[in-house]
Amino acid sequence: MLLRCRIPLANFELDIDVSFDARVTSIFGPSGAGKTTLLDAIAGLRPIADGEIEINGRTLYSSARGLNLSPQQRGLGYVPQEGALFPHLSVRKNILFGAERHRDIGNAEGISIDHVLEVLEIGKLLDRPVTELSGGEAQRVALARAILSRPQLLLLDEPLAALDIALKERILPYLGRVRDEFGIPMIYVTHNLTEVLTLADWVLMIQQGRLVTQGIPQEALRSAHTIMQIPDEQFENVFTATFIESDAKAGRTRVRLRSGTELFIPYLPQPANRSLQIRISADDILIGTRRPEGISAGNVIAGTVHGIELVDGQALVPVFAGEEFFVRLTSGAVTRLELKEGTPVFLIIKTRSFRVL
Amino acid sequence: MTISKFARMAFSWLTVILFMLSAEVSARADEVLVSAAASLTDVLRDIGKAYQLKSKHKLALTLGPSNFLARQIDEGAPADIFFSADLAQMDLLEKNGRLEPGTRKNLLSNQLVVIVPANSKLSVASPKDLMKPEVKKIALADPAAVPVGVYTSKYLADEGLWDKLKPKIVPVLDVRATLASVESGNVEAGFVYKTDAAISQKVKTVFEVPIEKGPKITYPLAIVKESKKKEAARDFMNYVLGPAGKTAFKKYGFVVLD
Amino acid sequence: MIFSVETWHITVFSLAVGLASTLVILPFGVALAWLFARRDWPLKSIVETIVLLPLVMPPVSTGLILLKIFGRRNPIGQWLYDRGIEVVFNWKGVLIAMAVMSFPLLVRSVRTSFSEVNPRLEQIAATLGASGLRIFFVITIPLAYKGIVAGALLAFSRALGEFGATILLAGNIPGRTQTLSLAIFNFVQTGKDPEAYVLLGITVTLAFVFVWCSEWLLRAGKRA
Repeated sequence: MLLRCRIPLANFELDIDVSFDARVTSIFGPSGAGKTTLLDAIAGLRPIADGEIEINGRTLYSSARGLNLSPQQRGLGYVPQEGALFPHLSVRKNILFGAERHRDIGNAEGISIDHVLEVLEIGKLLDRPVTELSGGEAQRVALARAILSRPQLLLLDEPLAALDIALKERILPYLGRVRDEFGIPMIYVTHNLTEVLTLADWVLMIQQGRLVTQGIPQEALRSAHTIMQIPDEQFENVFTATFIESDAKAGRTRVRLRSGTELFIPYLPQPANRSLQIRISADDILIGTRRPEGISAGNVIAGTVHGIELVDGQALVPVFAGEEFFVRLTSGAVTRLELKEGTPVFLIIKTRSFRVL
Repeated sequence: MTISKFARMAFSWLTVILFMLSAEVSARADEVLVSAAASLTDVLRDIGKAYQLKSKHKLALTLGPSNFLARQIDEGAPADIFFSADLAQMDLLEKNGRLEPGTRKNLLSNQLVVIVPANSKLSVASPKDLMKPEVKKIALADPAAVPVGVYTSKYLADEGLWDKLKPKIVPVLDVRATLASVESGNVEAGFVYKTDAAISQKVKTVFEVPIEKGPKITYPLAIVKESKKKEAARDFMNYVLGPAGKTAFKKYGFVVLD
Repeated sequence: MIFSVETWHITVFSLAVGLASTLVILPFGVALAWLFARRDWPLKSIVETIVLLPLVMPPVSTGLILLKIFGRRNPIGQWLYDRGIEVVFNWKGVLIAMAVMSFPLLVRSVRTSFSEVNPRLEQIAATLGASGLRIFFVITIPLAYKGIVAGALLAFSRALGEFGATILLAGNIPGRTQTLSLAIFNFVQTGKDPEAYVLLGITVTLAFVFVWCSEWLLRAGKRA
């Protein structure tokens, strides 16, 4: 996808020039960075001063050639932050609203309605009035509506922002399923790292209307910019792990990461799919310069300090232990332990600190 | 919805409306439309009823303030006869060439009277009495524009009373408003025409300005030049000017000029 | 009896022409209100002001302007006259006077309703492929219709109460252009108070009912 645009905003100018090809591209940045504006521009809902937007070889907008397709013609599926379901229509009428879209514009491969209903689990909601849906149900309906209009690209504007943490956890897997089942590329706007790390193959980091970095999430996020943006927010490590065995009495389950490192996570019964995504907050990992004894934590892993990023009294310390673990400490702790690149350390993590997606 | 779509929709609706407007009720070719001052309503109704029993022509009335009526006719409104409550409006139309030459007749006159509330204890027997301190407010239809107000101010000026009474004058909208304020007792006295005073039970006439001394109140009527039914109009006008008409006017208290 | 056939005629005439005038201005009012609520264009504020004028100017002044436009002396009036269309002293004049005077009320009311429809809904509908007309009729109007009906009721009430412009443009011809308001004027001018009160009672009752319904709809719309 080719995206180049310049949009004057209230306090600054949104100036983007990127080109990328990924299943899920995340646009990451703090509020006010211009992320929603960017999506609106891609969708044709907002005028662009100058630029070029091209998807899958099809030009949606070109100031040089005087081309500006209307939103109707762009073949995109937009899931806005508030869901924006049509309150006077039923769930069924909502999701079928865009289903008649012309073949040429939409995604040529048909997506069956039943498939979508199944993946998003909204089959039993069909005849409900939209106003009676819960927050999570409404978001899934909005997703279904966008998907069923057979778009070439899905635009999601912080779809989980309005939900509480528990609900976020419940809906995130659906997004993963959408990514896996329907094969429609997604542009996903968020200021939440977990969502980026969980869903995205590529991330664009935007600050003050400018692109500051882009790349594979695990790498691109390893920077001072990231820490500056999320001083108080969750910074989570996300890993893919394979289930080994569970011990109900001990209250824990053993899993193995791709690198072979084994970890204990809170007990869960044997899942149908042995592949899991586990998460651990960077704030929940301790670093020790000596192997500790007589402590409660179930995980002690040896590793090496891979870098130190200091910003405003905080330190982000990636530690390589088969995989890259991001640890957040105070800069005081870094000084006290005399941590440097290459220092051998031990990561100490409570079993109960892990979360499973 | 773009602006051009709106323009197109508006245009098609405009066409529909024009079509509607052209739908005409069957033409009443021989209906004479008389545009008359509101104070002539009742007498013209009576005359009209009697006339239509005798004649094949039909009659329609439109009533209102003389200045409105004159304005309408000036702008081409299709009245056939104009019957005004004062000369100024008729003169205006004559000047603008709206009248059929030779058809104008100054037919009626009226008498100016002083009225007080029916239960008033004040002794007012002449305009001079209005200078008494017990008379605090006098109602009068706008002396700058309405005929009766203009006539009254002129009369009082001729009598040398205008300057002294002016501070007590309360200008109101028209004759009907004058009657209403006197009826309510909000003012102690008022000036109206004799024919107007007759309408109300709640006022009493205390002084009739003698016709010779009073202002020349005139009600002229004329045929409108652009009328399409001049023959029928003439026929009605002759009836009005004839004995039947004159009797009716006298009955209502108008003075008939010869 | 005071409740005569004449009273009935006048009331029915007023209601009929009032209804017709409201129906005539409805599409224009709705379309213009939409343009005001959703679009910006050059000269927009001038048009807004012109639309508002009949609401704030004395009705007689508006009537004079209408008379000037539709009278035979003026090109438009002349044009219509040549085609056999007469407006002055005619029910059509009553309709035009009512339409012009009630138009601003309709536009204001509907404009507010449209502004209260979340524009995001219309935008999303567009991204889903719906054309401008489809969005207007399937999304915008259904969500705003309570305000539209309320506006129409308000305009209708205003039309019923119209006097100044009507008497100038259409005249006061009993049986032909005499509305409730004009009839009341006549009765008052000739001292026939009882008859006037009867018509006044009818007018007030009708106005009360329509305005009350209008307000009720607006409140119901807000709760939704």
